[in-house]
Amino acid sequence: MEHGKHVFRIVILVAVILAVVLLARGFLVPRTYGLYGRYRGANVAQQMDARPVLYAGAAACADCHSDEATKRAAGAHKNVNCEVCHAPLGAHILADGSVVKPPVDRSFTLCARCHRKVAARPAGFPQVDLEQHVNGPVEGKVCLECHDPHSPKP
Amino acid sequence: MPEITGFAFPNDIHVTWSLMIVMYPYITGFVAGSFIVTSLYHLFDRQEFKPVARLAMATSFAFLLVASLPLQLHLGQPQRGPFVIVTPNFTSAMAGFGILYSFYMLVLVLELWFVWRQEIIERARRSRGTKRAFYAALALGTYDTSPEAIEIDHKAIKILAGICLPAACMLHGYVGFIFGAIKANPWWSTPLMPVIFLLSAAVSGIALLILLYQVHAKLERRPVVASCVQALASWLWFFLILTITLEELELIVMAYEKSESWLIISELLTTRLSFSYVTMQMIVGGLIPLILLAVVVLMNRYLHEKVRNTLATVAAFLTLIQVFSMRWNIVIGGQLLSKSLRGLRSPYEPEIFGREGVLVAIALFVAPFVILWVFDRVLGIEEPEGGPAANPPAAPPGAAPAGSHVP
Amino acid sequence: MSDCHDGCDGGRREFLAGTLKLAGGAVVTVIGGSALASSSSSPTSAPRPGGGAYDWNEHLWAYLIDTTKCIGCGSCARACKAENDVPDGFYRTWIERYVVGSEDSHVDSPNGGMDGFPPVQVGFVANKSFFVPKICNHCRATPCTQVCPVGASYRTKDGAVLVDAESCIGCGYCVQACPYGSRFIHPATHTASKCTWCYHRITKGLKPACVTVCPTQARQFGDLKKEGDPVRAVVEHDRVQILQGHLLTEPQCYYTHLDKEVR
Repeated sequence: MEHGKHVFRIVILVAVILAVVLLARGFLVPRTYGLYGRYRGANVAQQMDARPVLYAGAAACADCHSDEATKRAAGAHKNVNCEVCHAPLGAHILADGSVVKPPVDRSFTLCARCHRKVAARPAGFPQVDLEQHVNGPVEGKVCLECHDPHSPKP
Repeated sequence: MPEITGFAFPNDIHVTWSLMIVMYPYITGFVAGSFIVTSLYHLFDRQEFKPVARLAMATSFAFLLVASLPLQLHLGQPQRGPFVIVTPNFTSAMAGFGILYSFYMLVLVLELWFVWRQEIIERARRSRGTKRAFYAALALGTYDTSPEAIEIDHKAIKILAGICLPAACMLHGYVGFIFGAIKANPWWSTPLMPVIFLLSAAVSGIALLILLYQVHAKLERRPVVASCVQALASWLWFFLILTITLEELELIVMAYEKSESWLIISELLTTRLSFSYVTMQMIVGGLIPLILLAVVVLMNRYLHEKVRNTLATVAAFLTLIQVFSMRWNIVIGGQLLSKSLRGLRSPYEPEIFGREGVLVAIALFVAPFVILWVFDRVLGIEEPEGGPAANPPAAPPGAAPAGSHVP
Repeated sequence: MSDCHDGCDGGRREFLAGTLKLAGGAVVTVIGGSALASSSSSPTSAPRPGGGAYDWNEHLWAYLIDTTKCIGCGSCARACKAENDVPDGFYRTWIERYVVGSEDSHVDSPNGGMDGFPPVQVGFVANKSFFVPKICNHCRATPCTQVCPVGASYRTKDGAVLVDAESCIGCGYCVQACPYGSRFIHPATHTASKCTWCYHRITKGLKPACVTVCPTQARQFGDLKKEGDPVRAVVEHDRVQILQGHLLTEPQCYYTHLDKEVR
C-alpha cells in the first residue's frame, strides 16, 4: 500500500482527535457522577440542605403560645395549622433567633377562603353565602365580630 | 400572559421549545436531504445527479456546521451544552444527538476530504506562502495523485458514502424520534413521526438543491442541465407525495379511531393552526407544488426549458415553505395544546430580537449559504473543467455523458 | 391573643430558633442513630448531608390525596410557594376545580388556586362539583428522568424525583415529557424545576409544606416502608387511583375518590 499514505495519515489524525476528546471528557465528568446512578451523587445531599425549613407545624408554635394552642386544640380548628393564618414560623422567628411580628390578616377574605360557599366544597363542610350570612356590608373584620378564630362556633 | 381557551394545566401555558427548536429539525433536514441527493450519485450511480453531487455534499456539510447551533442557543444554560457528550444519559433520545452528530460530522468530513483531495493538492501546488501551507496542511502533507492513490480514494468514498447515508438518515430520523417518543403529548406521540421527518427531510433537501443548482449555475455561468432538473423534480414529487400522504394518514387514523385527543387536536388544527397547517402546510406548500411537479414530471417533453425550470423552482420554493410549516406545526402546535387535553393557549409569537428570536433564526438559515460561498472560494464546489479531477468518482468511463447539456 | 412577641424570655426564643433549624430534631436524632449504625457497613449506599443522618434506604415515600376532603382554600399552594420560593406564575402544586354536568364540564384553576376559588357560573346544568389537588406524581417509571440528556434529573432511592440545578442544561425535554404538567423552566435559573416533596423537610422527619398546612387532611404523606403508616395502609388495603394510568408511569401520588373527568 505505498499509495495509501494519505489514508494512513488521516486515520492517525482521527485517532488523535478521538483520544483528545476522550481525555477531555475524563476531566469534565463531575466527581460524584455515577455514585448512585446516572446523576451527580453529591446533589442528593445538596437537596437535603437546599433551603431552610419555613413551616414548622403547630406543635412548634405551642412552645411559646400555649394559651392559643390549647384553645385551638379543643375547638373546631384543631386541625388547622397556625401557619395557615399566621404565615410560616420561619418568617416569625428568623434563623438568627430574632423575632419578627407576623402579619395577621383579620379581614373577612381570610375566613372566606375556606368558608365562603363554593359549590365544589364538600357538602358537610361549614360554609356560608357571605351576603346572606352577614347583616350589613361584607367588609373588614366583620367575621371576628361574632366568631373567635381560635375556637370558632357556628 | 397567553390567553387560554378551556383549561390548561397551570404550568402548561409556556412554549418552552421556541423558534429555535423549529429551526433545528429544519436545518438538520437539509443535512440529511442533500446527503440523500449526493448518495443517489455516489452510491447508486444515478448519473443524472452528477451536476449537483458535489454541490449537495458541500450543502450537507454547510448545514451540518450550523445544525447544532439552534439547540445550543435554545438551552437555558448554553455553557453546559457539552455535558450532553460528557455525561450522556443514554435513556434520553437527546443524549444520542451528541453522539450521532459527532459521528456524522466525522464521516462526512472524511468523505469530503477524499472527494476534494485532488483539488486541495492542486491548489497546494499552485499557491505560495501561507496559502500553500494551509493547503498543504489540508492535504496532510502527501501529494499523491497517482492513479493508484486515486483508486484508493474512490474506494474510500464509496465506503464512507455507504456509512454516511444511514448516519444522515439516523441523524434526522432521530429528530423525529425526539418528538414521536413523547407519550405525554398526543400530537407528537406516533411511530410515524421519525418517518415523516425523514421523508420531509428528503423533500427539503431536494427542493433546496433545485434552487441552489439554478443559482449556482447562474453564478458560475454554466448551463443548467435539463435532465438534472428533471430528475430532481421527479424525486421531489415522489417524496412530497409520500410525506403528505403520511402526514394526512396520521390525522385520519386519529380521527377515525376517535382517540381521546382527537377533539382537542381537531380544534388545534382548525383554530390555532388554521393558517400554518391548513393554508401553508397543506394547500400552499402541499397541494400547489404537487400539481406543479406533476406537470413537470408528466408533461416533461412538451415543456420549454425555461418553463420547466420556472415550474420546478416555484414548486421547490413552495415545498421549502411546506417543510418549515410542518416543523412549526409539530413543534409549536404540540405546545399550544395542554396535556390536560382540555385547553389551548393563544398562538405563540416568537420574539424578534434576542437569543431565540426571528433575526437569529434568519441568520441561522443564511449562515450555511455563507459557508457554502466560503467553501467555494477555498476549495471550489465544482470540479474545474478539464482539470485533473475531471473524471467522476465511481463512474464507469462510458457513463459520463449521461448528464450532457441541452441543445 | 397573648402579645408576648416582645415579652417572651430569650431562652424560649433561642430554643425556638433551634427547633426551627433542626425542626423535628428529636425524630431526626432517633432515626439518625439507627441509620448511622446500619449504614456504616456500606458507606456509599446513603448520602450524608452535612454530617446529618438520614438513610434513604429506610424510606419509600408516597403521597395520598382524598379529593372529597379538599375545600379549595389554596393553603397548600401558598405554603409551597413560600417554602420553596416558587416564582410567580409557576406552580409546584395547584388545585383544580371541576364542575360536571351530564352534557358538559368546566375546569378551572385561577392562579393555581393560590388565592382560593370564587363561586363560578357555568352555562350548563351542573350535577357535581369538586376540587382536585395536583402535585408531581414522583412516578416510579417516570418519563421525565428518562429523557434528561445529561442525567440532571433522577429518582432517589426513597422515591423522590429531583432536578440537579447545577447539571441541568435547560433543554426543556423533561417539561415536554411530563404528562401531568408538573415541571417548568425556572425563569431565573433557566433550569428545570419541580416539586421535590420538600426533600429538605422530609429528610429531617417533617412532612412536605403542603401537607403540613392542609386544614382538612386532604393531603397526606407517608412512608411505604414504615409499619403502621396510615398512607401505606390506605395504599395497600383500600381502592386507590392514579392519574393517567394508561401511560404506565407508575405515579407514587395516590388518589381516593377520583372522578372520570380528572386527567
